[in-house]
Amino acid sequence: MGNDDHALIRAVLAGDKDAYGLLVERHSESVFRVAFRITESEADSDEVVQETFLRGYRSLADFHARSSFRTWIYRIAMNSALKTLDKRKAEASIPVVEEYDDGRPGIQLTDPAAGPDRLLLDREIEARRHAAMEKMSPTERLAFVLRHLEGRSTEEIAAALDMSQSSAKQAVFRAVQKLRRSLAPLWVKS
Amino acid sequence: MRHLTEEELIEHYFSEDANRIVVETHLRICGRCEQDYDEISNALAVHGPEPPAREPGYGRRIWQSIQQPLLPYPSKPQHRFFFVPRLAFAGACLLLLIATFLAGRIWERTHTRPSQAVTPQAEKERVVLFILDDHLDRSERLLVQLNHAVSGEEAAGLLLQAEARQLLADNRLYRQTLAGAGDPLLSAALDHLERVLLEVANSPGPLSDAEIARLEKEMSTDSLLFQIRVLRARVSSQQPKSEFSRKGA
Repeated sequence: MGNDDHALIRAVLAGDKDAYGLLVERHSESVFRVAFRITESEADSDEVVQETFLRGYRSLADFHARSSFRTWIYRIAMNSALKTLDKRKAEASIPVVEEYDDGRPGIQLTDPAAGPDRLLLDREIEARRHAAMEKMSPTERLAFVLRHLEGRSTEEIAAALDMSQSSAKQAVFRAVQKLRRSLAPLWVKS
Repeated sequence: MRHLTEEELIEHYFSEDANRIVVETHLRICGRCEQDYDEISNALAVHGPEPPAREPGYGRRIWQSIQQPLLPYPSKPQHRFFFVPRLAFAGACLLLLIATFLAGRIWERTHTRPSQAVTPQAEKERVVLFILDDHLDRSERLLVQLNHAVSGEEAAGLLLQAEARQLLADNRLYRQTLAGAGDPLLSAALDHLERVLLEVANSPGPLSDAEIARLEKEMSTDSLLFQIRVLRARVSSQQPKSEFSRKGA
């Protein structure tokens, strides 16, 4: 896959614009997934995917053949997603954490037949998870998403975030620590 | 019995621990660590909304939506870089390296100047460059830490401020000493650095995210970091010259 990507990049740089279409088709779903993990909004993620591949095309000449295209495009996607998130915050269009909005995409916790107590607990869990994500620095958030939710290796995260492997590990560690601290009172209650 | 640290437990969760069996054995016999591990596992079991599946042909739809304004890359000879087999490229680099080394040796033999005594002025300059290099190195590290600082880490924040205070005193001295040296870039950078150090050193408490962001924005710490790196490279490149003249002596 990686070598095929490099062949397509060579073709694009040699003037074959359509070869980039194959790269887009190949990577757009995984880019969407990463964008969604960060923005948690389907519409925003679609925009991020478009912007990512546009920016990717324009800076393809700067791509270094020694790295993987996926890692490189992830980096662009994550930066775009963070920018979108900032923009959304600035517009104050995100719901306040405590006021959980039913219209947001569903969390994967609740059994549809669950009782009101369980529903209430799930809402509180989601609100605390969301608050923990907000407390994470951008680097921690990205490292956490890639490691825990996308199952990427520390090596790949380090390459995507342009940092050492130990820094990537530390970022994941701090993110988990924040999530744990945020959810800890609930385990005591339950 | 030493308990497992949170970091070790998180590493274990992600199967990144080197001594997995030792950790597993410990978790079986230590209730406290087992409880901590369960808490971490519970926290990590909480996921946000899952990304919805994309329809078939999603990638093609994305490509169609963006392809219109994109212009094809002109076919340039420099892209032939990709076609050169890597081994041949590595070989060419090696040859170039050897040629450069040999040329350097020959140049050194044919152009070695007669011995010169080191003047006190040159010796002083060498010492100043050496100390300045150290100062710039410490400043660079402080700026990097500042750019990656996390609010809430009080101990780290206090250390950062202590270091800033120490650097501030040194920086004033260097700035004043080098003011008349006729080096506007160096003077401007030291002046800029002093303002940032002053802000960090005089912050009433550990720096918050907002304060760090304000410093980055208002004091352009990123551009300062770049300036410092440029200066360090320059100062480092000046040092061997002094070394050369010392060797000559």
